[in-house]
Amino acid sequence: MSEIDIELDELERDALTELVNIGVSRAAASLRKMVHKQVLLSVPSVEVITRKSAAALIGQRESENLIAVQQEFDGPFSGRALLIFPESNGLTLVRAIVGDDMSEEELLEMEAEALAETGNVILNGCLGSMANMLKKSLKMSIPDVRRGNSASLFHVGTEDTNEGFVLFLYINFSVRDHDIRGYIAMIMDLPSLEVLKTLVAAFIERVTQEAP
Amino acid sequence: MKSSRPGLFPKASASPTADPADVEHATGGREAEAELLEITNELATARERLDLTLEAAGAASSWNWDISANRLFADTRFAAMVGLDPLDLKAGVPTRYFFSAIHPDDVPRIRLAVAGILAGAEIFSKDYRLVKRDGSIRWVRAEGRGEADDDEEPVRFVGTLVDITDQRLAQERLRIAQEAGGIGTFEHAAGFATVNVSDQLCRLFGLHPTKVLPIKTLNDLIHDGDPLIIDLARPDGPQSIADREFRITRADDGKVRWLAQRGEYVEVAQGSQRYIGVLYDVTETKASQEQLRTANLALAERARGSMRERNRMWQNSRDLVLVLSGSGEIKDANPVWREILGASPSLALGRSIVDFTWPEDKASMLEAMEVASKGGRSDFELRLKHADGAPRWISWRTSQEDGAIYGFGRDVTLEREQAETLKDTEAQLRQSQKMEAVGQLTGGIAHDFNNLLTGIIGALSILRRRISAGRLDDLDRFIDAATTSAHRAASLTHRLLAFSRRQSLDRQAVDVNKLVNSMEDLLTRTLGEKISLSVLVHPETCCAFTDANQLENAILNLAINARDAMPKGGKMTIEAENVILTKADISRNEEIQPGPYAVIAVSDTGTGMTSETIAKAFDPFFTTKPIGQGTGLGLSMIYGFAQQSGGHARITSQLGMGTTVTLFLPDGSGADKVSIGSAPSQHGSLMGEGEVVLVVEDDSAVRLLIVDVLKELGYRTIEAEDGEHALPIIESAQRIDAVVSDVGLPGINGRQLAEVALARRPGLRVLFLTGYAATASSRADFLGPGMDMMTKPFSMDDLARKVREMLAKD
Repeated sequence: MSEIDIELDELERDALTELVNIGVSRAAASLRKMVHKQVLLSVPSVEVITRKSAAALIGQRESENLIAVQQEFDGPFSGRALLIFPESNGLTLVRAIVGDDMSEEELLEMEAEALAETGNVILNGCLGSMANMLKKSLKMSIPDVRRGNSASLFHVGTEDTNEGFVLFLYINFSVRDHDIRGYIAMIMDLPSLEVLKTLVAAFIERVTQEAP
Repeated sequence: MKSSRPGLFPKASASPTADPADVEHATGGREAEAELLEITNELATARERLDLTLEAAGAASSWNWDISANRLFADTRFAAMVGLDPLDLKAGVPTRYFFSAIHPDDVPRIRLAVAGILAGAEIFSKDYRLVKRDGSIRWVRAEGRGEADDDEEPVRFVGTLVDITDQRLAQERLRIAQEAGGIGTFEHAAGFATVNVSDQLCRLFGLHPTKVLPIKTLNDLIHDGDPLIIDLARPDGPQSIADREFRITRADDGKVRWLAQRGEYVEVAQGSQRYIGVLYDVTETKASQEQLRTANLALAERARGSMRERNRMWQNSRDLVLVLSGSGEIKDANPVWREILGASPSLALGRSIVDFTWPEDKASMLEAMEVASKGGRSDFELRLKHADGAPRWISWRTSQEDGAIYGFGRDVTLEREQAETLKDTEAQLRQSQKMEAVGQLTGGIAHDFNNLLTGIIGALSILRRRISAGRLDDLDRFIDAATTSAHRAASLTHRLLAFSRRQSLDRQAVDVNKLVNSMEDLLTRTLGEKISLSVLVHPETCCAFTDANQLENAILNLAINARDAMPKGGKMTIEAENVILTKADISRNEEIQPGPYAVIAVSDTGTGMTSETIAKAFDPFFTTKPIGQGTGLGLSMIYGFAQQSGGHARITSQLGMGTTVTLFLPDGSGADKVSIGSAPSQHGSLMGEGEVVLVVEDDSAVRLLIVDVLKELGYRTIEAEDGEHALPIIESAQRIDAVVSDVGLPGINGRQLAEVALARRPGLRVLFLTGYAATASSRADFLGPGMDMMTKPFSMDDLARKVREMLAKD
């Protein structure tokens, strides 16, 4: 398998970005309902890279430790989805969502739980609507909160990193005037990625030919 | 607006005042009409003004995509941008018109994005191209939002369109500039831990392109100690905007690069400033700068080095270094001038080198300058004058360049003095060695003489006693003993004379072959059994003009030397032949003339000599034998004899191979031959016949003996102790038949006396007696007609015979 097979062309990237945007918009709507506050989510771009590059990429950009919500997904394409924040951003997100009424101790106590919940909404919305748009369905596992550096989150060095590819998304949160940046990473093996690409191609076909 | 009429595009005004129903019941229709016209005009003006305002403000145009009604509404500005009728858009058109003016290449991705919104996405933000009716292309930015109803179903898609062509152009220009120039840009707002960066900046650092980076990520790639991009130690304060350069290790390939940073603060809003800067790679520039710097340094160092070297030589040279004009004026002198000449070199500047030259050498110095100024490279030794007046010997070498003479002078005064001292010391050493040797020799001779004299004196005493006692029997034994001792003493003095080259040679033509052959028996006995003798004489070997006895003596001496050189035995060869020496045969230090020679060579197969030994072999007293075993006179004597004969002696030898001593003796073919080996002729009567003989001898004992013998032989004698006493007798009328005179007399010597006597009495016979005579070493040159000579000591029989012979020659 040569590299070219996993590279996304511009339209594919646009399509995936759009699919994810639909997903995160759904998720934002869900969050709005949960917390009754203005929540905006946006995904400026997406790319497909190796796990090692993904780890390096986050490592380059984030100097602090990371916190991530992780969920397995299974369906026509399967893998692991991660919603990743710098640790401080994660806490900011929790505070933004739960409000300022809580003390620092209470906040720390429920951080993991709140993050897992928030992450679940976002990842579910994201992956769910994506699958929906691709006219497929995915099964999602229970969320799980992990901490560590980028290498440990992507299991660099512990698994055969050549086998894994990452659909890598930047995600911007705007919750009650807090700007929070994070990443969504969908770790898949090559067969899953190929399935995804096929599905996206079909989606593009459908959308661009469709007369509005 | 939901009830707008599709397909109808009324041009009429939307104003309620334009309703025709209101016009009908107007009292003054004209009035109303005029009012309407006025309002219409005002409206047109207002619209125009609005357009202008919108245009001037670059104001956004907006659209409203009614998802449930599937219709698109938009304002005038939007209509203008996409080239549709504003009224139609106001009334609503099918949503496909949204894509009508979009550049075909951009349509698919905009459709994708719109599809996202229609499916529930919330954010729409796209840049794309619109194609105008005139074919021109404008870049626009569409910013939109999907709006949903309470059931989360998307109902509306609203947004604004902004013309960003100029901005895009500027951005493109910037991007091209950044990429072409490799220039990365960044923007930092005080207090932020992140910095906005361009893709190119990310590439410079080897980072994945992104818009925002933590400052720490960048700073971490900068080498320790190098300046940082943004100093996080003071995040809120103003950053230094000084230009800087730093090294980074690129994140992707680990390469070290030099980056340069320039930047300044730009006010982006009231009281809000941003630090906007650029970074670019200067590694190559740095490298070439560094190369240039290193090259420059190396060059400068080399220049300094050679300058230092030159300076060091000038300063520390032990030799004088002078820069002189062509005429000998001193332009510069190095510091050693003071050391050698005792005065500051600065005092010498501007003066002539001749002023400092030793008076006797001034002329030579002028001459040397003359040669040097013409480019002649010259080496010479001339003296300079020390400040204390003493001469300093300087060994000079000069060179000439660009009209200047460079003089390099080495002070050799000490060397000269040392050489002088060495010469003196050597002479002294030689003298003392000579004295020591002479002491040794005279001691040995004295010892021998004393022994001989004891024998003679003892024998004479015994004879006297016996004769007194009348015991005349058995006297011969003592007479023989005394005679033997006396002969040995005579032989000893003879050798000494030969050594001193003061012997009197009786040079005659000697048959060399005969002589050598006659010696064979003697030599064989001398050499002993271990040494074989071989005599190789060329049958045609000519006669040598020399003294036969001395030649015999020399050959015997050489044979003894040869024997001593072969302690374990060997072979000795004597050869004789004729040679004709040419100039080429004679080496420079050999004193011999080219010509025909009789050659006698004595060779052994013994130990040989080193070249050092050969060089000294002919020196008097030089001996390789242990002290007491040889006087060191043998070879010296032979050399002296050969030289005195007008010939030469030569040694050739190789260590371990043997030695050959060759004697060159002048060809004597034309001279009288002496008979070799023949017994002395038997005389008839030796008795005189009353002839008168004048005896001049200062030694009274000798005079007594001579007079006694002559009287006994029947001669009459007159005695004189020296020339002074003899002259009156010679000048008198007294009969004198012969004069027997010592040569070495006090006052006038025997030779002078003889001349006077012969002048007075021509035909007078003169017999000289000599112990040694400096002027009589060559008999033939010394003796005039009617003269003859005898060497002391001589036997009385010989004297009688000689006198008889002389007087008989009439």
